[in-house]
Amino acid sequence: MPDAADFIRRMPLLANLPKDVQARISRRMIRRSYSAGETIFIEGDPGRAAYLVAEGRVRVHRTSRAGREQVLARIGLGQLFNTVPLFRHDARNHATAQAATDVTVYAILREDLLRLVQDSPELALVILRDFAERLDHLTNLVEDLSLRTVRGRLARFLLVHAKEGTVRRQWTQEEMASELGTVRDVIGRALRSFASEGLIRMDRHRIVLVDREGLESESDS
Amino acid sequence: MAGCVVPYIDLESCTRCGVCVDVCPAEAVVMGLAGPEFSDPEACTYCTLCETLCPEGAIACGFVIVWEGDSRRGADGPEGGVC
Ligand code: SF4
Ligand code: SF4
Repeated sequence: MPDAADFIRRMPLLANLPKDVQARISRRMIRRSYSAGETIFIEGDPGRAAYLVAEGRVRVHRTSRAGREQVLARIGLGQLFNTVPLFRHDARNHATAQAATDVTVYAILREDLLRLVQDSPELALVILRDFAERLDHLTNLVEDLSLRTVRGRLARFLLVHAKEGTVRRQWTQEEMASELGTVRDVIGRALRSFASEGLIRMDRHRIVLVDREGLESESDS
Repeated sequence: MAGCVVPYIDLESCTRCGVCVDVCPAEAVVMGLAGPEFSDPEACTYCTLCETLCPEGAIACGFVIVWEGDSRRGADGPEGGVC
């Protein structure tokens, strides 16, 4: 296991920082080990430190009020985590981190990190870049989640309305969206993805249901 | 004829701004005396772009939902279409 200074030099995220900044960071790094399954920190607790993974994998998740767990990220070698809460006023961990394997991390305490960032614009930039990537990841996750539930609702909607009446009513995407509690754009995308997967066929003004089984299993999900 | 179905334009709320004419990728819409009209209905691909961009919400692209192979009344012709 390399020492802190050595680790920083080999870590893509921090490797390009000036030598003196690297040295200052490494003096603030505290090494900790966790066994697989052990909790590193808990959602809602005060955020005391940010962490760099030196060995193993960490799983970051959140638990909904209904008790459902949502994995937000899996963090591997050389990656940084729990930086976001440290820059917030209330500084509370917004998720729980658990060792997915045996894990070694370097912790940097909140006060130390804030001071380091104040002294080094280069480090501030590294953290901003990391935030940007995280924001991107979460945006995709949100989109994916909302799209997935809309797919289920849309499939059900299509199955129900293909059956009803002899004279069909027409639905604009806007109307479908408000029936399903979403926005038109999301409906458009869901329809296109159904079509590209062969569940339906868009034939001008007709939404032609092609794959009954596929739609039914989609509506169960 | 299914090929003839075009978006429904509500001339009451249309302000003749011409956006639909400008954006239609198929150049299926022109500005007529009474408002936008379909000069080339067959060219319209029902892409719904005009519906998306009409500032007045005056255009409606309605869809009927049918099963493959279903030829009941209504599966083919919507009420709204212009041609
Ligand atoms: S964009 Fe809408 S309001 Fe403007 S001319 Fe076309 S239909 Fe009318
Ligand atoms: S649906 Fe598409 S092709 Fe048809 S008139 Fe509107 S913009 Fe043009």
